[in-house]
Amino acid sequence: MQNLAPALSSLNGLAAGAFLLSGFGLLATRQMQGCVRFFRLQSLALVGSIFLVAVGAPVPDLIAVALLDLAIKPLLIPWLLRRYVPEEVFRRREIEQVFNIPSSLLIALILTLAAYFLATPLPLAAVAMANINVPVGLAGLLLGVFMLAARREAVPQLIGIFAIENGSLLTGIAIAPRLPLVAEMAFPFDMLIIALVIGILTRITHERVGTTEVGALRALRESSAK
Amino acid sequence: MNLFLILVLPLVAALISWLPLGRRTAPIVTLLACIVVLVLAGEAALKVAAGARVSAVSEWVELDGLGALILGLVAIVATAAALFSWGYVAREEDAGHLRRYYANYNLFVSSMLAVPMLVEPALVWTAVELTTIFGIYLVAFDNTAEAVEAAWKYSVLTIMGGAIALLGFIVLYRATRFGLAPFSWSGLITLAPRVPPDVLESSFLLILVGFGAKVGLVPLHTWLPDAHSQAPTPVCALLSGIKTTLVLYVILRLLPILNATGRINIELWAVVIGLISVGIAAFLILQVTDYKRLFAFSTVEHMGIILTAAGLGGTAAHYGAVYQILNHSLTKSFCFFATGAVLLAVDTRQIADVRGLIRTSPIAGAALLFGGIAIAGAPPLAVFLSEFSIFRSGIAGQHYITTGLLAAFVVVAFFGILHHLNRMVFGEASPAATDSLPVRLPRSCVLTLILAGAPIIILGVYMPPPLHRLLQMAAEGITR
Amino acid sequence: MTRSVAFNLLQVLFVLGLAPLVSGVLSRLKEIVQSRRGPSIFQPYRDLRKLFNKDEVVSQNASWIFRVTPYVVFIAPIFVTTLIPVLTNYPLFFAFMGDMLGGGFVLALGGFFASLAAVDTANPYGPMGASRTRMVGFLAEPVFMIVFFTVSFIAGSTIPYIVQQHWVTFADFFAPSHVLLVIAFVMLILAEAGRIPVDNPTGHFELAMIDESKSLEYSGNGMALMKWGGQMKLLVLMCILLNVLVTPWGLAGGKNLTDVFLAAPLVLLKIGLFILILVVIESSLAKLRLFRISEFLGAAFVTSVVAMITGLLSF
Repeated sequence: MQNLAPALSSLNGLAAGAFLLSGFGLLATRQMQGCVRFFRLQSLALVGSIFLVAVGAPVPDLIAVALLDLAIKPLLIPWLLRRYVPEEVFRRREIEQVFNIPSSLLIALILTLAAYFLATPLPLAAVAMANINVPVGLAGLLLGVFMLAARREAVPQLIGIFAIENGSLLTGIAIAPRLPLVAEMAFPFDMLIIALVIGILTRITHERVGTTEVGALRALRESSAK
Repeated sequence: MNLFLILVLPLVAALISWLPLGRRTAPIVTLLACIVVLVLAGEAALKVAAGARVSAVSEWVELDGLGALILGLVAIVATAAALFSWGYVAREEDAGHLRRYYANYNLFVSSMLAVPMLVEPALVWTAVELTTIFGIYLVAFDNTAEAVEAAWKYSVLTIMGGAIALLGFIVLYRATRFGLAPFSWSGLITLAPRVPPDVLESSFLLILVGFGAKVGLVPLHTWLPDAHSQAPTPVCALLSGIKTTLVLYVILRLLPILNATGRINIELWAVVIGLISVGIAAFLILQVTDYKRLFAFSTVEHMGIILTAAGLGGTAAHYGAVYQILNHSLTKSFCFFATGAVLLAVDTRQIADVRGLIRTSPIAGAALLFGGIAIAGAPPLAVFLSEFSIFRSGIAGQHYITTGLLAAFVVVAFFGILHHLNRMVFGEASPAATDSLPVRLPRSCVLTLILAGAPIIILGVYMPPPLHRLLQMAAEGITR
Repeated sequence: MTRSVAFNLLQVLFVLGLAPLVSGVLSRLKEIVQSRRGPSIFQPYRDLRKLFNKDEVVSQNASWIFRVTPYVVFIAPIFVTTLIPVLTNYPLFFAFMGDMLGGGFVLALGGFFASLAAVDTANPYGPMGASRTRMVGFLAEPVFMIVFFTVSFIAGSTIPYIVQQHWVTFADFFAPSHVLLVIAFVMLILAEAGRIPVDNPTGHFELAMIDESKSLEYSGNGMALMKWGGQMKLLVLMCILLNVLVTPWGLAGGKNLTDVFLAAPLVLLKIGLFILILVVIESSLAKLRLFRISEFLGAAFVTSVVAMITGLLSF
């Protein structure tokens, strides 16, 4: 196990790089399908990192978590979204956003830098090979928050939430790989329930409000009172 | 053993409510489950107040002073809201929709009951997330465009908060590496001196930001007025009365851990953020146009007051904080029941459209006025006493600026609430309204109003000794 | 020493001679993927020969820039070839004449002269294409800078031969900085060499041309030199990518002629694999609209900066 450590460390670095890149991809894409695809990629990178930590640390419990995540995030959640969100929402090719793409990318860059500078002084990582997970996970979290704020459509906002959870989890397995199994299992199930509920909510929004451009919903503000 | 029963009963009730057994089964079963839970919770709270240790699974499911208080409050508000739902939701024609309401209601209550009982922070996070998720259906129950929009904003902002807090909890887990204590609230307090302050500080910040969104602290409060006004009234009572308090409870649990390190000035953070919330909420109350949003903003204000009080430090201020929690839950749920009665009477949410309520539907008008006065903090009602005790402890601790600002904001909110309610309750009623027959409120709603209003008056003058002891233990739970 | 000089010249001949072949293979493969037969892989040689035998027509209004540019465009990649590892993995005679930054500037010099020449004639399509090329160039410059800077920082030197030694072991190979650098550099090649998704190299529609417009007015010798120069630029960029960053193996380590000759087919194999990837990219993407090129290069910039961050702040 010891002589595998550097190789595992570099593979983990690869997974972290893919994670970060897909985080940027989430912000750079204009299509609905693109969002879902990059989310899949990010989840796969996350699962890869979990596997590597499970093998390298070693923490056998994490293998179960990795398998569960593999089943839920890249597979079940996109399927659920497909099933419950109205079809025409997915055919959208232009997502409404607050900033245009180059500005979004620049802001994302600043957020990543901020994450790196915030994460480096903290003595957080418990597993040496996963040192890179902490800043990358934090960056993923910040990118998810930005995506939530900058996108005006329902499904990208939802995927932003999932990106935040992905980031939290990526940092989490590096900081606390031996979290009680019951708690680790709860996280992906939680995301599953969220996907289900929000998928249904999106459908209802689409039916009631006529559009899923939730950023444009202003009926409840004081200024527009009837 | 009883603790498990408290958790399981609402789940069973949820299952039964969901089954197609006619329109009457669901409300009855829900109410019965809530009453039994209330009795069990009260018994557990009395045991804790007497000094006994109540625990089902050591280090995982335990009750201390603070937990017992919150558990009791959840049970009380849930029962009252179940009673109010009986009459309020009965208007719903679709039986399936009705049953699903009650099923979700029970699931919601069950997850809320779990939060004060669990002492393992990761499970607490899971329980809080579950409360958020179960609440979504309830908020969107009315199925109008506005309700759906409110549900959307609610779900997105609070789930985002949960995801950020997740990282905070995982960082908190890291603290257990520095010693041998278990991963529970009390374990973390013993470990705290040995943990590097950066770790605890970053964990606290993440949890404050994340769960602060769920509590409705400014600037992540934008979902709260929408969700707490568009949801059906009993759900609003639950959300405003107890759910936001529940999440604030989790944040408050962190304060003794951070104090134990002795190296972080966490009180300052709490005071500043609390004051900002109180101030902004107070000014937002002035410009509100919908009376349910009025009370929702008042919730934001009171959350801020509680956080500020907890941040002032010292047992006296902490006593004020838990006292405020108690009074706010009872009073705010009453206020929302009153708004429910008003809504049944006049069928509009706009303040400008309601006039002379005292003449057109006296019960609703009186209840609304009473609730407004109570929540604004007028003597000799409960909220006045708790706010006063906070001010007193603030001055005694020489936090003059904080206390001064707090008092100023509370006065602003007081005037705001009364100004709006005054126009609604008194004032010239339109001729059309006075000519039509007053709407008969369902009996269960009136009963709820009476039962929920009584404690507010009683607590204003008399504090039962067991309750006093419980409050003291809860205050210690924040301090130590 | 003479051996070193000789190998250097051998490298130049390699690039000079095989650039049209690489170009030919690329177009043939693209056509095959699109279910067509495509021209022979030696067609670019025949084109060059034909062009060299034709007369040149030069506008009377053109200045000396117009006449000089084909030579600049032709020589720039040759100059860069002497600096980069093409066949050997140890520094040759001219290796220290300039570093990666210098090489980048020389290539940019060729592009600069091409843009000037396009403006020099009175053809309306020339300046249009030139301005677009400059836009792509100026957006790609920051990416170039950051990629070169990061690579130099990680490898500890700016000379391509020494950088090449760094990634031969697998130590840093899968580090996120390396992977992101490769991705950013590939995006850069697509932009600089005028491939899809930035520009369509086989397009004939002047209004949509970016890179092709530089050779619109040329004929005969000038055209031949411009074409050849363009093909060599692509090959040089590919060599930098493959021999320095992606697959720094297979280059000649020994000092005999046979080693160097044996390295040539290996290098061709690597280039062939990259051509396959390029063909897949080109056949599956659509050409971007002009204002989206800034997004594309913005993404490349962000990728390279992230590579820089992860590389510099590595643990």
